[in-house]
Amino acid sequence: MPMTSKEVNLKDIEEFLTDLACNKVGPIIKSKSGSQQNYELKTGSRNVDIVTSIDKQVEQIVWSTLKSQYPDFQFIGEESYVKGVTKITDDPTFIIDPIDGTTNFVHDFPFSCTSLGMTLNKEPVVGVIYNPHLDLLVTASRGNGVKLNGKPFDYSAKVNSMGSLQLNKSIVGLQPGSAREGPNFKCKISTYQNLLLVDGGFIHGSRNLGSSAMTMAYIALGNLDAYWDGGCYAWDVCAGWCILKETGGRVVGANPREWNVEVDNRSYLAIRGTHSIEEQEKYIEDFWSCVVGGLKYD
Amino acid sequence: MALSKEQLKEVETSLIQLAQKEIGPLIKSQSGTKFESFEDKANNVDLVTVVDKKVENIVQEFLTKKYPDFAFVGEEGFIKGETKIGNKPTFIVDPIDGTTNFIHGYPYSCTSLGLSEGGKAVVGVVHNPHLNQTFHASKGNGAFLNGERIQVTPRPLILQKSIIGLESGSERAESPGSNFETKLRTTNNLLSEKGGFIHGSRSHGSTAMDLCYVATGLLDAYWEGGPWAWDVCAGWCIIEETGGIMVGANPGEWEIPLENRRYFAVRGGAKKEEQNWFVESLWSHVEGQLSY
Repeated sequence: MPMTSKEVNLKDIEEFLTDLACNKVGPIIKSKSGSQQNYELKTGSRNVDIVTSIDKQVEQIVWSTLKSQYPDFQFIGEESYVKGVTKITDDPTFIIDPIDGTTNFVHDFPFSCTSLGMTLNKEPVVGVIYNPHLDLLVTASRGNGVKLNGKPFDYSAKVNSMGSLQLNKSIVGLQPGSAREGPNFKCKISTYQNLLLVDGGFIHGSRNLGSSAMTMAYIALGNLDAYWDGGCYAWDVCAGWCILKETGGRVVGANPREWNVEVDNRSYLAIRGTHSIEEQEKYIEDFWSCVVGGLKYD
Repeated sequence: MALSKEQLKEVETSLIQLAQKEIGPLIKSQSGTKFESFEDKANNVDLVTVVDKKVENIVQEFLTKKYPDFAFVGEEGFIKGETKIGNKPTFIVDPIDGTTNFIHGYPYSCTSLGLSEGGKAVVGVVHNPHLNQTFHASKGNGAFLNGERIQVTPRPLILQKSIIGLESGSERAESPGSNFETKLRTTNNLLSEKGGFIHGSRSHGSTAMDLCYVATGLLDAYWEGGPWAWDVCAGWCIIEETGGIMVGANPGEWEIPLENRRYFAVRGGAKKEEQNWFVESLWSHVEGQLSY
């Protein structure tokens, strides 16, 4: 029965997206992974910003499934996005990346996934991330906690079992992304250096999964402490953002003092849940002090 | 008298048993529980826990009992300047590779059990209990993941279309010509649009797992300085059994010993000429020299 935007049941939507991810999208990603030798390079850009026909096919499937179930909801997908035109409004809006980690997908590196999110009043309120190679499903909806592979995930217990969140005891997701030239790239490399240096942040280490959504899922599960990136889009982070918030985690901007950012900010610092807000805020400030220059995207 | 293929296979099987039955459960149950109790080795990010040492004791006891004529070199018992890898069969073991992962609960810590003979890696078993993956091989017997043969799909191997394992490592001093500088500059060169412009880098914080990913073709290559013989012995054998190669991280190092500490692995599924060309291409982007 198609729903109107007056009846927004977040839990139901989480379940619907879960079913879509696991039963429709996941199998396609898994079976086609590593098989796409012919891929395109995206518009106006470079040899490493890849899209395949499967990305587009999957988005089409997701769009039509969502459209028939939720005809009044808005839809923003990576493959149909039009720069300068597509905007996020207050309406319930599905924001999806059919295949996050397309490079992984092309290379059969087991960290491509589907990232299905929804915003209400521009805030991420439902998030479903499914990696079919690892059969890893992480989902959440606002106020309903987090599920790991369909079962409630005790993120409270996880956070309590972890050490305190300190910059020089943290492991951080860092992804160079596809822009490899210019001020943003320089900022990233310099910031990585600062984070790693014994005289800088001296973080325990950095990790790179090649997928924003998987990185955020890993933070929610307590595998990573933080993720700093720029260049990604709303669809890369929407689902992960909702999930993270349910664990007490938080997303701020990648640049110093950007405490409140929109889901389409295009540069982000995501932090895990901690024992206290003070600890979380101190971490954010310490992290920002390692940023060299700043990231800037249209 | 060199060990036969059958003898090597027997060792491989023993190591798999040891890894899966004794070590895996210990690593899995203790992972992510040691946030407050680790020591720093060389500096604050070169970490070790009591579990590393415990596991090494278990491994050493088992192996020296079963194979009394073989030598044993383990990370925790290593004495700089003294411990040497000779020609006789030698177990070369990292009880927990990816100790930072182990402490943080990141699911890429593993055990890396290798055997060398004549200074070459001849048996390798890498077991990751979080992902339930055992990569294993012995010289002349092929390589396997959980008992299934590893076949790397032949496909073009080109630097600009590759994904490469690059890690941040534990050396973090900034000074001209330091290993940290060399790694950072080289990473920059490989990623840069004006440089290698590779498809991407990946990092999971475990040398042994990175090598296994190269062996299975999930990574095209792995370039690193800093790891020790025990981090690479097992993975090196597995890679060679899938048609991959291991050279040195510094340009020109075509033949390297197990203890080289500078490693550059390239996957199979490619002709020798393609592999060599790939090696030379990457080397052309190395800025400076790694030195340990």
